[in-house]
Amino acid sequence: MADFVNHILTLEDSWIGYIVAALVAAVLILHVVAVGALLFIWMERKISGRIQDRLGPTRVGGKFGWLQTLADGIKLIAKEDVTPDLADKFLFKIAPYVGLAASYAAFIALPFADGVVGQHVNTAVFFVLAVLGLEVFSVILAGYSSGSKWSLFGAMREAAQVVSYEVPLGMCVVVPVMICGTMNLTTIANMQAGFFTNWLVFNDPFTFLTAIVYFTCATAGVNRAPFDLAEAESELVAGFHTEYSGLRWSLFFMAEYSSMFIVAALASILFFGGSHGPIPIADVLGLLSLDNLGSSDPAFHVFNEDGGGFFASLNLEIAIARFLGVANLLLKGTIGVTVMMWVRWSFPRLRIDQVMTMCLKYCVPLAAVGFLGATAWQALDLPTGNSLMNSPRYSHHELWTADDSESAVEEASSNEVQTPHEDDTHAAAKAVKLKTVPVSVVKGGGR
Amino acid sequence: MASSKIDDPRVIEFDVRTDEMLINMGPQHPSTHGVLRLVLRTDGEVVSDVEPHIGYLHRCAEKIGENLTARQWIPYTDRMDYLAAMNMNLGWSLVIEKMLEYDLPERGRHLRVIISEMGRIASHLVAMGTYGLDLGSFTPFLYGFREREKILNLFEEACGARLTYSYLTPGGATADLPADWTGKCRQFLAEFKEVIPELHTLLTTNSIFVSRTAGIGVMSAKMAIDYGCTGPVLRGSGVYHDLRFHGEERYTEMYDGYVFDVICADPATGKYPESNYEFHGDSLDYPEIPRQAVLGDCWHRFYVRMLEVVQSVRLVEQAIEKYEATSGDWGTPIKLVQKLPVKEAYMETEAPRGQMGFYVVGNGDSIPWRVRARSSSFCNLSVTAPLCQGILLADIPAIVGSLDVVMGEIDR
Amino acid sequence: MDLFAVAWPYWHQFFFIIFAATAVGFGFGVLLSKNVVRMAFYLVLSLGSTAGLFFLAGAEFVGAMQLMIYVGGTLVLLIFGVMLTAQKDFINMDTHTQDWILATIVGGSLLMVLLFAAFGAEDWNTPQDLTDAKVEATKEATPLGLALTGIRVDTLGETDDAVQGGKAGYLMPFIIVSVHLLVVLIGAAYMARTKKLSHATNDKSSRAKLMLFKMEHEAELLEEETYVVTHRGQSALNPLDPQDDEN
Repeated sequence: MADFVNHILTLEDSWIGYIVAALVAAVLILHVVAVGALLFIWMERKISGRIQDRLGPTRVGGKFGWLQTLADGIKLIAKEDVTPDLADKFLFKIAPYVGLAASYAAFIALPFADGVVGQHVNTAVFFVLAVLGLEVFSVILAGYSSGSKWSLFGAMREAAQVVSYEVPLGMCVVVPVMICGTMNLTTIANMQAGFFTNWLVFNDPFTFLTAIVYFTCATAGVNRAPFDLAEAESELVAGFHTEYSGLRWSLFFMAEYSSMFIVAALASILFFGGSHGPIPIADVLGLLSLDNLGSSDPAFHVFNEDGGGFFASLNLEIAIARFLGVANLLLKGTIGVTVMMWVRWSFPRLRIDQVMTMCLKYCVPLAAVGFLGATAWQALDLPTGNSLMNSPRYSHHELWTADDSESAVEEASSNEVQTPHEDDTHAAAKAVKLKTVPVSVVKGGGR
Repeated sequence: MASSKIDDPRVIEFDVRTDEMLINMGPQHPSTHGVLRLVLRTDGEVVSDVEPHIGYLHRCAEKIGENLTARQWIPYTDRMDYLAAMNMNLGWSLVIEKMLEYDLPERGRHLRVIISEMGRIASHLVAMGTYGLDLGSFTPFLYGFREREKILNLFEEACGARLTYSYLTPGGATADLPADWTGKCRQFLAEFKEVIPELHTLLTTNSIFVSRTAGIGVMSAKMAIDYGCTGPVLRGSGVYHDLRFHGEERYTEMYDGYVFDVICADPATGKYPESNYEFHGDSLDYPEIPRQAVLGDCWHRFYVRMLEVVQSVRLVEQAIEKYEATSGDWGTPIKLVQKLPVKEAYMETEAPRGQMGFYVVGNGDSIPWRVRARSSSFCNLSVTAPLCQGILLADIPAIVGSLDVVMGEIDR
Repeated sequence: MDLFAVAWPYWHQFFFIIFAATAVGFGFGVLLSKNVVRMAFYLVLSLGSTAGLFFLAGAEFVGAMQLMIYVGGTLVLLIFGVMLTAQKDFINMDTHTQDWILATIVGGSLLMVLLFAAFGAEDWNTPQDLTDAKVEATKEATPLGLALTGIRVDTLGETDDAVQGGKAGYLMPFIIVSVHLLVVLIGAAYMARTKKLSHATNDKSSRAKLMLFKMEHEAELLEEETYVVTHRGQSALNPLDPQDDEN
């Protein structure tokens, strides 16, 4: 996108393009976080109302109370900023921002569609998991710095819970990584393009089991019911955020809802096809062929550097295909969040020792079984979901290959080298090129 | 003496070990039912001692009773167990009638059965709902309250009030039921019978609820009797005692001719009486007892309440038929300044939360010499301390909720 | 505008300065802060900035590892421990002057060694070309994974056989470390096992003893000194507390 902006402004590789591109990406992600929180809070109130045989908000913003969250936000902003006397003021104030920053940062590597990603991180899965694990700091700091025993209790319990559930979560996440052979979320999503039988959840029964365990661990990891003892209203008033009011409190909840969305979106990318729907709409409409997903060929980029002006350089078909992909992923993420809300309003809460028992005695062994089973399934080359429907998988893996043919070495050594070494020990290394190779993981399906 | 120990600041630090905290739960707290203060001694998660502090809702009802006539004191009984006010009114009415040796006409008796059993349903719905709410299950609370709204609407038609009725008076009731009341009541019962299985699915047989309540707060029958527990708390430990069967004659003859069960498990077999739903003509079968439940634990106390609701439904149906079949006076109330004879009378009734007793001493005047209410929740609450030793913090709402205490009744 | 246009090629340096400044700055914060919990938090921020430095160098995998293992694992444990034990008296840590001097000497010598090493290595002295395929190619986690299982694909282009032979895979160290971690895990689980709860009975007996004590000494006036506590929650003059708990 940076090149595109530079092209529009007829500048040559200028800093303006990069800054503008970065700002646009950041603002878009901020919109996902903020508007997402707005939407999810409204949805939670409506869904919980309907489950409880009542209506939910019906006044602000029309018959369905669309703008209720906005009104609540305005109220929260206008509240008095109260800090308890016994609180460690600096930590008290910074705790919600830590959580929000962690949640927001995880969106950087999340691909909303093929090529629509904040930063193209090759080890995206690992990065997202690592950053999500930082959210526990906001809880610990909030609970401690509130200066109240009750908040401390809630923070302790939550930290133990979140950290414990990262283990089975990681193990569940390894299964699609293993099946696809890459940690790149875009590639994992692209490998599930096509009909829904390509989705990894239908790959083999163990992956199906793993998807369910992943969803459970993800619910526990973001402290949603039935694992929400940190916020257990009836036991510790409000747990670690008892002393927070106004905007600070709402930041905690923005962080929570955006984390919910991230894990739901991650679930859909890893197991449910990501931005690729049950049917390949883009392919059906002739917008973007499945063969060309993830290709680094400039012909399949949204912005064409050849044309002049705005619209000529916009590759319209690809843009529409990407847009549909983004909408698809947002829809799937929202469905995941809805399921979490559904579960919340139906079940009572588990005690902390029951939560830990569930993690260590049930989720971890199940995740391990899923991993072993999926590995065995791959190794033994057993029939998978996509092979039963005879639909192959398409993607472009980024592979690291060594091309030590003579022509490549010559080409490399003829380049201007800035290193002080005069010998050619680096020339052979330079012959190593980063190529994108189309890989079709075919199991029984013809090409 | 216990309260002086805790309030004396010297003694607190005298007794607390380094690894323990004294934590205060309440009096404002979402899950202590009412203004109850629980002082917990805990080391973070394991509670070693719980001491309930009461008296935050004391309103000197008994002292005021020494200045009002019998009928004037009825609103004070409303405000004791405010969730089952009809049953409180009934208890006071019965003891005054016992003192005056006054017998009610037939129609009035059936009227009282209808009203008190409807009150029992309403009270148990709150107990069930708030218990689920304490444990994190928000939905059954609202389902229960939706049904309770219908009951309260019926009560409002009968006496004009939704919570503090003052309806049942010595001598009968303040007014007869309106003409179409029984029809609406039947309709409510028909709808309510559909809801009961939903509540079982959401709470009674829900595996998370079972794991939160089964095996928690187990109370043996001997302990229950020693501490003076009554009602579902007593029957949940397997003690076969229900005042509607085993109480005074003046009370049990109110239930003459009615077919219902005492909900109590046989300690030997652990089984509850059969539902006999075909006999009663409804489809209200009892759900299975889960494997983890131990007789005398929180789950069984909850289960007893749920099954008592079924019994109350059947009682109301029978009572409606009998009420419509009898004609005559519904029981006009006694005079406002009815003089009380020089004697004392004590009567206990089976209120939803236990045995509620009223004691009155008359001295020839219309104003009694002494009035006393024996509250069921008071003795039920006293068992909190031994039950809550060595448990986890999250079990405290489970135990206190299963005892189903109402502070208005405890503090009077 | 011109200044920016001129400065643009140095965006890398700009971000490096930001990350390095925060890493070093919060490191100083750890040193100079008196509040234990704040120290732990500054350490979090410092190590997070180090992860940022890794990302800037293009080592995404290592950066994510830093975040997950150091910040998300080790530091959570650290903050947990600090937060649980930081009661009123232990929060403020005043370091004595002699400790400062000793720490400066030790830390300073370590810093000297590191600086010598950093400026002495030739490879680190000269700027690398970012289009160097070797640098670019290490973005993928696959070579790392393969190296850990014993296959060094990053040396495939190595022509010198003598050097090639010495670059073996890391399978052996990987297995050793894994077994080591397993031992640690088992040890931690063993040490943290639940012991018998003796709180309840102990408490009942101490309460009974308190009642007895009060009954025996009813006639005496309760003087302040009898119940004076030297440390909150722990009474040195407590005649009832056995002091030899069976914990």
